[in-house]
Formats: sequence, structure tokens, C-alpha cells
Amino acid sequence: MYKYIFKRVYQLIIVFFLFLITSYVLFDSIPGNAFQNLLLNPDLPPEAYEQVIKLYGLDKPLSERVFLYVQNFLQGDFGYSYKHYPKTPIELISQRLPRTLMLFAMVNIIAFYTGFLIGKILAWRRGSKSETWITVTSVFSYTIFYPWFALMMLWFFGYKLDWLPIGKFLYPEKWYDAPFDSDVVFVSMIQFTAIVSIIQILVYIYTRNIESLSMRRNARFGSFIIITLASLFYWNTGELLIQKPYAMDIAYHMILPIFTVTVVAFAGTALLTRTTMMEVMKDDFILTARAKGLSQKRIRDRHAARNALLPVVTSFIFTIVTIIDGSVLTETIFSWPGMGQLILQSVLEEDIPVAMASFSFIGIFALVAHFIADISYAYLDPRIRIQSQG
Amino acid sequence: MKSQKDIAKEIRRKAIKKNWQLFRRSKLGMIGLYIVIFFLFLTILQPILFITGVWNKGVYDPVVGYSEQFQEFLVVECPKEYPTDKYDERSDCPGRTEVNIRTLFYSDAEVGETIIQNLQPAPPSRKHILGTDSLGRDVFSQIMEGSQVAFVLGLLSATLGVGISTILGTIAAFFGGRIDSYLMRQSDLILMLPTLPLLFIISAFAELKIWHLAVVLGTIGGLGGSVITIKSQALQVKVKPFVDSARITGGSRMNILFSHVLPNVAPLALLFMVFSVTGAIASESVLSFLGLLNIDMSWGLMIYLAQVEGFIFSGMKFWWLILPAGLSVTFLTGGFYLVGRGLDEVFNPRLRDR
Repeated sequence: MYKYIFKRVYQLIIVFFLFLITSYVLFDSIPGNAFQNLLLNPDLPPEAYEQVIKLYGLDKPLSERVFLYVQNFLQGDFGYSYKHYPKTPIELISQRLPRTLMLFAMVNIIAFYTGFLIGKILAWRRGSKSETWITVTSVFSYTIFYPWFALMMLWFFGYKLDWLPIGKFLYPEKWYDAPFDSDVVFVSMIQFTAIVSIIQILVYIYTRNIESLSMRRNARFGSFIIITLASLFYWNTGELLIQKPYAMDIAYHMILPIFTVTVVAFAGTALLTRTTMMEVMKDDFILTARAKGLSQKRIRDRHAARNALLPVVTSFIFTIVTIIDGSVLTETIFSWPGMGQLILQSVLEEDIPVAMASFSFIGIFALVAHFIADISYAYLDPRIRIQSQG
Repeated sequence: MKSQKDIAKEIRRKAIKKNWQLFRRSKLGMIGLYIVIFFLFLTILQPILFITGVWNKGVYDPVVGYSEQFQEFLVVECPKEYPTDKYDERSDCPGRTEVNIRTLFYSDAEVGETIIQNLQPAPPSRKHILGTDSLGRDVFSQIMEGSQVAFVLGLLSATLGVGISTILGTIAAFFGGRIDSYLMRQSDLILMLPTLPLLFIISAFAELKIWHLAVVLGTIGGLGGSVITIKSQALQVKVKPFVDSARITGGSRMNILFSHVLPNVAPLALLFMVFSVTGAIASESVLSFLGLLNIDMSWGLMIYLAQVEGFIFSGMKFWWLILPAGLSVTFLTGGFYLVGRGLDEVFNPRLRDR
């Protein structure tokens, strides 16, 4: 087993370097470079352009640049952004990443929860008319043409009803005399969300073993009310009281993107849960549970749904990997300044250091997730462990 | 006396009949199949209408057609402040049969007169079932052209992708060792590249037409994650007793690979193919929506044009420019997805109802 893991890590490193080289070559193959707009300026002599190119080392041959990049990458040096010069890619990413993660973490949690609930009920009511129609509806909300749907939502809620803002991260006019940066407020919002969700998860874990279903529901509901009251108190004390209106502004801008993406994302979980649960319900232990005379609800929630959870959680982990990739469209349509927009802009402007840094960030994320999945599969299934020494 | 070939043929026919009956039992699959057949009908209908001469190519061509639609307009002057007793909002003026005097540059008509003007985009009428767009092209014809593009692209890229991934996945599972680890790391590499930015880069240095895009999407899909899934299925087939008995009776490796392992992986591959049609159509629409493809007409391009010309935020006043294209993408991809679900219930014995 250890030999297998060692071999995999060794291959992982090779793949990562191949990935770095491939993406650098891909970025380089885009015609033109980041500084060509200098040539359009009639006030600049042509030498200026050549000087800038030389300064950034873009006149060297491709192979030398790739080699230099990999060398610097190993030393932890990602260079400077071409377009936002004094900033490094790490600074840009550390500013943008929390925004994307916050948005999509909330979307994924809501979508996962509602999707699992709906999928569970769908599988249980298999064959009924309502099941067919709800399934068809969720298939269409899963395959809906996303940019079109997002624009329609923007039009309906932002323009027609005028309830929610049309895109953007905040209203700039509200922030003219703000005593702090928007990032400061956002960080405290993230802290708050993280604390609340950890408490919520702890409550779920502790109430899991309460036998009576109604008692459990009451305990969860009570804890939810306590958390709501505590968070009201939390936001009305000390420095957070000053930050509250600004935090409210950001939260107000987050509603529409979260709602839109959730409508599209929950259906995937619901459909997957439906399929896995239908497989589980064929198993013998469900029949045993029926024969024991357990109530239908108990069989559904405790026996079938619990066993259907595993593949759904696995796919949930894999969706976390695709968050940044999937955020490109959402953030472009809702003008949300996150990682997706950073990647898109850096690719279009050929800001190679920033694009490379964000690509390698995604790459490390994906590699580690796949590695963990591979190891756990090999560990769980002895046939694969013996047969594939790869 | 029946030859062995005839018996094999009959067994196959019976299997197809049985699977079809299983498929018919799943309501979801049948709904999906009806949707796909409907769009297939639209695809075939357009060339038939052109050839039989029911539709004149100059008027109904989806790209260069032009249809004259004249209508009488009342010249009005839009007020500066709203609401007035005639209009509630800024978007209500000018109304359907009115024209704002500020936008009349070539006519010296006064307020209150009526003038005859070309009406584009024209609302649905008997001549144009779904109206025309701002250049006077028939929207229904564009929808048909878009469904041709979607079918060609979706089926081509799905076939290519599934062909590649089935062959590679089976080889990886069957031979193992170095070949396996090379193929697995290759698909890791493809999976690491974020898809949409990758397509942006490719569209920057290559001219993407339908065929090129189909090849690119098929290759990316075929080398990526589906190889891993098909490999794991092939691994499960490989350890089954009938493969061992084939080996003991002296079947060559190629024979075992092609006549024992591949046919058992094929159902999963077919399933993958149906689902990747969904993905290919969606990617094409997203790329056309962002204006990155070199395609004459497609559903994504129709929405792109509606957005660029500002009709999407004019609400339901110009619904025929916004709804048909978006709904077509949604319904066709959804239809293929439902067919996939139906096939899943046929091929996966654990999902069968009875």
C-alpha cells in the first residue's frame, strides 16, 4: 500500500510539471503579447516597446522562458503581474479567492442540502405521477442554458421588479466615507459564516443519535433559533456594529447570484441522490427493515438515505474542485470580482504570470482531490488494488 | 437447418426487443425521446421546405434572408418625466405602433402624423411563425438551422469522445502496468486544465468552426474523466469468470479484448455518449454566446445577438428573440439527458423497477 502511495506521489509531481509546461506553452501560443497596445500609442518611440519586452524577458526563446518559469516556481517566485504591475499574482489571488469561495460555498451547501432532500423523496415515490413531473422539471433546471437563465433572472429581479441590484459586488456610492476596506468587512463576514456553519454542523452531529424523530426535529429547530439570536447579538456589538451596514450591502448583492446558481446546481444533487437511492432500495436490508415493521419514514431516512449519502458526498467533493472553473460564467454575468473574472481577464489580456498562478492553483487543488479519491478507491476495493499497480 | 450466424442474429434481435420494452417502461426516457424526435423533425423540415419551394430562400434563409414588413407608425414625442397618463414607465414609450420623433433622422414628419416604416424585429405573424429578428431574418428558420448545428456538433463530438475513451479505457484496464499509468496521468492532466478558459485560449489562436469545435470538444471529453470511469467498469468486467474461461480455452488477447470485454463496456459507453451530447451542445451555446466561434447561425449566437442589441433587458416586449433560442437549448439538452436516464434504467439491473 505504501509503495502504491509513494508511486502515485511520484507520478503526481511529474504530471504537475507537465501541466505547468503545457499551460505556459498554451498561453504563449496566443498571438500577440500583453504589451502590444504600447505600439498603438503615437507618443511612444518604437524602442520603448522593445525595452519593455526586454525588461519582462519576453524576447527570450520559449524554451528558456518555460525553464525559467519552472525554476522560479520551485523557489516560490511567481513574478509580477503584467497588467497590475506592482502587485504579485499571489496578492491578486488572495484578494479574489475569498469572494469566489464564499459565494460558491454557500451555493453548494444550500444546493446539496435541498438536492439531497428532494432526491430522497423522489426515489421514495418512484413511479407516481408527481415523481415523474418533478424529475422532469429538475432535469430541465439542470440542463437549462445557464447564461440565458442568469440574464433572465437579472432582468426579472433586477430590472422588472427592481428588488435586487443588477450585478456588482457593492454600491460604490455607499462606500465613499467608509472607514475601512471592503475586504476587511468581507473577511469578518467569512468568519461569521464559518463559525455559524461549524456550530450548525456540530448540532447536527450531536442530535444525530436522538432516537425519536420529532424530538430530533425540535432540538434542531431550537438550536437554529438560538443561533439566529446569537448572531443578531454578535453583529450588534463593538466594531461589528460599524461594519454592519456595509456587510449588509455586500450580502444584498450576493442574494441574486446565490439564488440563480442554486436553482441550477441543486438539480444535479437531486438526480444523483434519486439514482443512488433507487439502487440502495433494492438491497436486502431494506426488506429486512420492512419485515421488522419499522415505519416507512424511518426506513427512508435511516436505512436508505444514509446509505445513498456516500456517492453523493464523493461527487460533492469533486464539485468543489470545479468551483473556480464554473465561476467564470457566473462572475462574468453578475460582474462579481472573483477568481473567475481574474482568470478570464488574465487569459484575454495575456497576463501570463497571473494566469499561470491561477491555473497552477486550480491544478494543485484538482490533483490532490483526485489523488485522495484514487487512494480511497484502491483502499476500499481490493480487486483494483491488486490488479492496477499503476 | 439454421447456421450459427442466424442464431446469433436472432439472439441480438431478441435482446434489442427486450431492451426496447424496458426502455418504453421508463416514462422519463420516453419524454426525452419525444423531445429529441421533435427537434430531429425540425432539423429535417428546413431543407425539405427549401427544396420543395414552400419557403423562398431569399426570404427565409437563416443567415442572409430578408423579409419586408411595412407598418404604419404614429409619430409621438416621448415625455421627459414618467409616469404620465399615457405611459407608466420609460420602456412603454414608444409603444408597438408608435415611433419616437427623436429617433427619426431621415424623415421630416411632425408629431401626430402617421408614417410607413419598416418594422424589424417584427412580431410573430402568419408569414413568420416566430417573427423576425432586427435584420429581418426569420427566427423559426434560425431555430431550425440551430438545431442542425446542435445535432451535428453534439453527435459528432460525442461519438468521437466516447470512441476515444472506450478504446483507451479498455486498453488501460486490460493491459495495466505502464500503459495504464500513462493513460491515467494523461487524463489527470486534461482534467486539471479548466475547460472554459482552455476553450478561450484555443479560440484565440485557431479559427473555430463547427467541425473544429466538435473535434476539440470530443478530444477533450474523450481523454478526460470518462476514460477513468470506463476503465473502472472494464476492470470489473475483466475479473468476471467468463473472461477467465475464455483465456483458458485459448482465446488470444485481442480476441478477448474485442469480443468479451468491449461488448460488456459498450452499454456504459452508450450512456456516456448520450450525456456528452448534452455537454457538447451546452459548450457550443456558451462559446457562441460569448462570441468566440466562427459559426453562421446557432442558438447561442441568437441569444448573443439579442443581448448585444439590447433586447434581453427590454423584457417580454420582444419575447420571440429571447425565449425560443434559450428554451431550445434547454429542452434539447434536457431531452438527451432524459434519454440517458432511461437507458441507465435499462442497462443498470439495480435500477430496474421490477
